[in-house]
Amino acid sequence: MYFKNIKLALFIFFIGLVHSESVLIKNATIYDGKNNDPFVGNVLIEGDKISRISKSNLRGDIVIDASGKIITPGIIATDSELGIVEIGALSVTRDDSSDIYKIGFSIYDAFNPHSVLIPWNRSNGITSSLTLPQNTDSPIGGLGSFFVLDSNLEITGSSDIVMIGRVGGSSSSSRAATYSIIEDLLEFAISLEQGDMSSNADISEAIDDSSIAGSMDLHPRDVKALYKLVNNDLPLIMKANRASDLLKLIELKEKYNLNLIIMGAQEAGLVAERIAKSNTPLIINPINNIPGSFDELASNINLAGKLEKQGITLMFNAPRDHNYHLIRQGAGVAVAHGMSYAGAMKALTLSPVEVFGLGDRGHLASGKIADLIIWDADPLEPSSMPEKVFINGKDIDLTTRMSRLTERYTKNKDKPNGYRD
Amino acid sequence: MHKTTKYFITFVFLFSSHILLSENEPFESTYQPLPAEDILIKDANIYDGDGNEFSETDVLIQDGKIAAIGKDLPVTNEFKVIDAAGKWVTPGIIDIHSHMGVYPAPGVRTSSDGNEATSPVTADVWAEHSIWVQDPQYALALKGGVTTFHILPGSANLIGGRGVTVKNLQRNTIDSMKFPNAPHSLKMACGENPKRVYGNRNQAPSTRMGNAAGYRKAWIKAAAYLSKQEEYEAKSEDAKQMGYKPTRDLELETLAGVLAGEITVQNHCYRAEEMATMINIANEFGYKISAFHHGVEAYKIADLLAENNICGALWADWWGFKHEAYDMVQANIAIVDQALNGKGCAIVHSDDAIGIQHLNQEASKALAAGLRAGFDISKARAMKWITINPAKAAGIDDVTGSIKVGKHADVVIWSMNPFSVYALVEKVFIDGATAYDKNTNFQPASDFDVGIISPNKNRIEE
Repeated sequence: MYFKNIKLALFIFFIGLVHSESVLIKNATIYDGKNNDPFVGNVLIEGDKISRISKSNLRGDIVIDASGKIITPGIIATDSELGIVEIGALSVTRDDSSDIYKIGFSIYDAFNPHSVLIPWNRSNGITSSLTLPQNTDSPIGGLGSFFVLDSNLEITGSSDIVMIGRVGGSSSSSRAATYSIIEDLLEFAISLEQGDMSSNADISEAIDDSSIAGSMDLHPRDVKALYKLVNNDLPLIMKANRASDLLKLIELKEKYNLNLIIMGAQEAGLVAERIAKSNTPLIINPINNIPGSFDELASNINLAGKLEKQGITLMFNAPRDHNYHLIRQGAGVAVAHGMSYAGAMKALTLSPVEVFGLGDRGHLASGKIADLIIWDADPLEPSSMPEKVFINGKDIDLTTRMSRLTERYTKNKDKPNGYRD
Repeated sequence: MHKTTKYFITFVFLFSSHILLSENEPFESTYQPLPAEDILIKDANIYDGDGNEFSETDVLIQDGKIAAIGKDLPVTNEFKVIDAAGKWVTPGIIDIHSHMGVYPAPGVRTSSDGNEATSPVTADVWAEHSIWVQDPQYALALKGGVTTFHILPGSANLIGGRGVTVKNLQRNTIDSMKFPNAPHSLKMACGENPKRVYGNRNQAPSTRMGNAAGYRKAWIKAAAYLSKQEEYEAKSEDAKQMGYKPTRDLELETLAGVLAGEITVQNHCYRAEEMATMINIANEFGYKISAFHHGVEAYKIADLLAENNICGALWADWWGFKHEAYDMVQANIAIVDQALNGKGCAIVHSDDAIGIQHLNQEASKALAAGLRAGFDISKARAMKWITINPAKAAGIDDVTGSIKVGKHADVVIWSMNPFSVYALVEKVFIDGATAYDKNTNFQPASDFDVGIISPNKNRIEE
């Protein structure tokens, strides 16, 4: 017994040694994720953290020379279906919607760390994801979760950290009715006291007493999410584009003290000063200049630069079609059309962390979690790729299903494909 | 284009237009360029679209055509001289796969006119009869350097109808945008889309084998129609007087036009084995596939495409939106390009109104992936993917798609190397006339753009 414990102790000691092997990235050009100018320096990774960043020499067990290379924090996808959709048109591989729950629908338990989208986006620089469901039948509702893209079956993430919603042109009813529903739901949530929330039976009683909750056929789960929204400062991402809708949402934010983020915001350029004054962060797709609907007539390729000049906090999204890393290309386009480089970099990294409270990520600084990328060239050039990706301090293998298939059809082609590597 | 091919096409064209079309060709192009200027673009870096790169070289534009390319070209005072030192010049960008006009913006039901999804074979419909000429997206594509694009029907049907090539000059009739003498295309579609659309209605096709049967049945009818027409044409004038002229059939007229080599085939197809099947069907009925579009698995049969002289019109990285688009590799375009030691024909296409504005960036991604996969491909060669190769697939490479003496002066000046995300289009010339100039804010606005947000402004005010 005693002997066994010694063995165990030695084993733990060696495991500890392996884990404590530090990594020093030397002479890198560092974009730290804040709005700072880049500087050349050294980054020491110990365990899952950046233990030091310094311009002077540091020592590490493993040394990576990054001379002439750019390093940045890992990029955060702020509007993705990573882990909950495998193939768009195959509903059996989609876990992004519910026909029962409207407001409290959570996708957290559906997350699949083995999705092939994860290594693919990771090999292109995405290290974590704010994964959002489809919009539900309610104008506000559906909860998004945060996931670290390390492919471990033991998920690192935070569940239900954001609610989504939308307003705009619809074929079924007036947007004025949408605003009424949102206000009725918020008023209902505000009217709830802690005592109403103590059991599902109590909540069901509150639902029966509420005309809006009753007519929307809400479940206790929905009401709990609503309660969190008005009492716990839960971030609310509203999808909206028309200038008048953006103003109306800001009015609701101020009236109900909401933690509002607007996504889409294609006409934000027309009301930029008001958005700035209200301190409302935006998630925009900087490459989308299409007047895709009558709500988006003012779409303009200059949007990101224009909003940055007003001091608005920006984050980026890309179409929800598997390549979430294309927010890098979007960021490059934003810079080509007037946004600052450091501002675009911050939009990809630190801004989502600050807006959604994602902890010690998105920023290269001592004590932060080591999610970082060493790039082969300018990360905002879509032709560039990561050379190394660290997540939670671990050097991640960048093999993807795509790189395997590429090898199959470029090497050893003399064998039938089924017998190639 | 090889001379023999050219003669063959000319021969076929004369022969078949006699047989297949009524006396006057309907819907003929009435395109007129903007007033052309005589221009010298001086000291530019150039990708000529034919695979060459030149530095500090001049391009002379006269009477709407490329008049010369070389160092220190002499000009008279009448020429407008543009100093392009440090800038890059390329041919006008060409997109072989666009739905602008048939799926215009805003994307609303009332102008969603790209799929006649009422029958699996609708060879009788022509995309140009759906096109909305006021689509605000053309002007956006122009700012991405696009001078010519090919508008196709959608992919709901096995055979979706005729596509049309247009010059990117906004006009108020489609005939006045049509690229003069460009052949029509026939849009065909493999795989999931047709079998889903019709299978869901409990009608054929509901499977891939149903798809294959559907094409073959259509070609059998077309072959019979063509031989009936030929039989009639072969008769003496007297015999023609005696008999009846075979009745025209719009659907079969288009299909017979393909069999006669007069109409190109643009085939939407994702999976490798389906592309191989489509090549078999083309051989069975004696027609030629010009390009496979989307071809997410083209890399698996790149040599087969090159052997059959079929282009792959592909995306740099779109994937996963359906099962047949799951096996994406970013080196797809490069692998198709490099097949049989560089005999492949690769095209970067958009199928998207945002993508069409950034085809240079899409080519840049595809090139980078090719280099990472170990291929040695120059930027000058990659420029062919968005210029001469789509021109070839559209059947217009004899007049546009590269900066070559005698071709249309469809030319773009970029602020810097176009393979960078930071490169902006500064000037676009179509047939030697300025169509867009960033510096003077000279840009078209469709009628849709006028006064729509604020009565005194156009939709986009820079």
